[in-house]
Amino acid sequence: MKLTAAGLSDVGRKRGSNEDYFLMDTSANLYIVADGMGGHLAGEIASKVAVEIIKKTVNGWITRNSPEDELFDFPDSTLSKRGNYILSGIKLANRVIYEMSREYAEYKGMGTTIVVLAIMPSTVVAANVGDSRIYLIRGNMIEPLSKEHSMVTEQLEMGLISKEEAQTSPLRHILTRNLGSSDTVDADVFEVEPMNNDRFLLCTDGLTDHVSDDEILGIIKNGDDPEHLCQQLVSEANKRGGNDNITVSLIFVDRLDRERQGILKRFWHFFKK
Amino acid sequence: MARVILVFNKKVIKEYPFDKENMTIGRNEGNDIVVDNLAVSGLHARIDKTQDTYILTDLQSTNGTFVNDKRITSHRLHHKDKIIIGKHLLFFALTKEEEVKAKDKELDKTMILDTVKHKDLLAKQAEKRGMEVPTQKEKIGVISFIDGSSQGEIQLTKKLTKIGKAETSEIRLGGLLMPSTAATISRRPNGYAITTTGGKTVRVNNEAIQESRYLKDFDTIEIGSYKFQFYTQESEDEK
Repeated sequence: MKLTAAGLSDVGRKRGSNEDYFLMDTSANLYIVADGMGGHLAGEIASKVAVEIIKKTVNGWITRNSPEDELFDFPDSTLSKRGNYILSGIKLANRVIYEMSREYAEYKGMGTTIVVLAIMPSTVVAANVGDSRIYLIRGNMIEPLSKEHSMVTEQLEMGLISKEEAQTSPLRHILTRNLGSSDTVDADVFEVEPMNNDRFLLCTDGLTDHVSDDEILGIIKNGDDPEHLCQQLVSEANKRGGNDNITVSLIFVDRLDRERQGILKRFWHFFKK
Repeated sequence: MARVILVFNKKVIKEYPFDKENMTIGRNEGNDIVVDNLAVSGLHARIDKTQDTYILTDLQSTNGTFVNDKRITSHRLHHKDKIIIGKHLLFFALTKEEEVKAKDKELDKTMILDTVKHKDLLAKQAEKRGMEVPTQKEKIGVISFIDGSSQGEIQLTKKLTKIGKAETSEIRLGGLLMPSTAATISRRPNGYAITTTGGKTVRVNNEAIQESRYLKDFDTIEIGSYKFQFYTQESEDEK
């Protein structure tokens, strides 16, 4: 399996500082993006702490091949082992940020969103809390692999407001979940089978507030260099106002030599013996 | 500090400084802002403060809550907003400093709002509007074998269900020509999708699929001599 990845974080046009943070761990094929919130430097710290904790703990569990019942908090039986590593890493990061914000006055009210993507030849794990997103671009389709935890999304799902109202609602930046505001958190985790030529996008709302899903698809399909495409996505968001920090990370999947135990291959193995 | 000024018949009745995390408005004595009028519900509305932002939410009141003449469910309050509850007017005011700060915040600042309480609230609002209370129950996919094999029905509880010969498959299919994993079904934000892994033709409603495809209720899936139907049912578990 060959992955080509790039990431870019931009302060945007209206903000004084960048509270987003991202990480591309190419040895574990782990990709993380976080959008911090909270006064002074707290937002920057929250996003960085979350990303680093998840990276360290998940990699540690992978190395030790830890059993699922030894992780932080209870494992989720609907997930694979790797899915549980990531879920547990997110829960641990939440607890740490929550404790930090209670312990130190300067960190009061700090929090962050998180999106985590892990790519293995047989499974892709996508996890999120808050309103940052993960997209899968496969063929000519773009689809979310994350769920938005905002008031507007909940109102929309319950049919209290229309889709049009949701797009312009003044409440669309009010989250119902993040890391750091409560002692426990639940993440949405999805698992899919990767295919050759799959493209994954991780991004913060600085992109999606300005650029629609279809426009994102158009940009990503129109090129093969993830680094260049990241720049295009960021400059598109900036062109339209750049109201918030913008972070994007693109991962392209190629040469997926999935273990294909079709009949021919098995015959081949048989003859080789 | 923000203030809420209660006005009736063009006369200021009382001024309330916003000195806590949230304030409730209603006819009952226990409210922070008591509005004594029969058109006002016992517990009518609530204002939550999150950082420097104030959010007004109608608490399934009988006669509704209006801001600047529009009925609201929830609303982010701005300086000089006029909240109307029954025949009373509540005037929302910020200090100059706060107003400037709030203007900055208008820049789509992300915030977090608690949470469990709000969920209950939304459910109540839906109920009040005569809507079916949104169920917290999830829809879960099931596959039902219709090929005469003895597998019967299998619930797709996993996020990723592997189908094939391998012992680790959630759904095991036998046969000489069966690959260790012939297909997977994943549960994604938009629904269940089946993906072929390439070792063997997977047909959905008699059509061989390329890569992946979303499943609809009562789609028929064929892998080799196996044939099964997909459908969704309400899960017993709460979300």
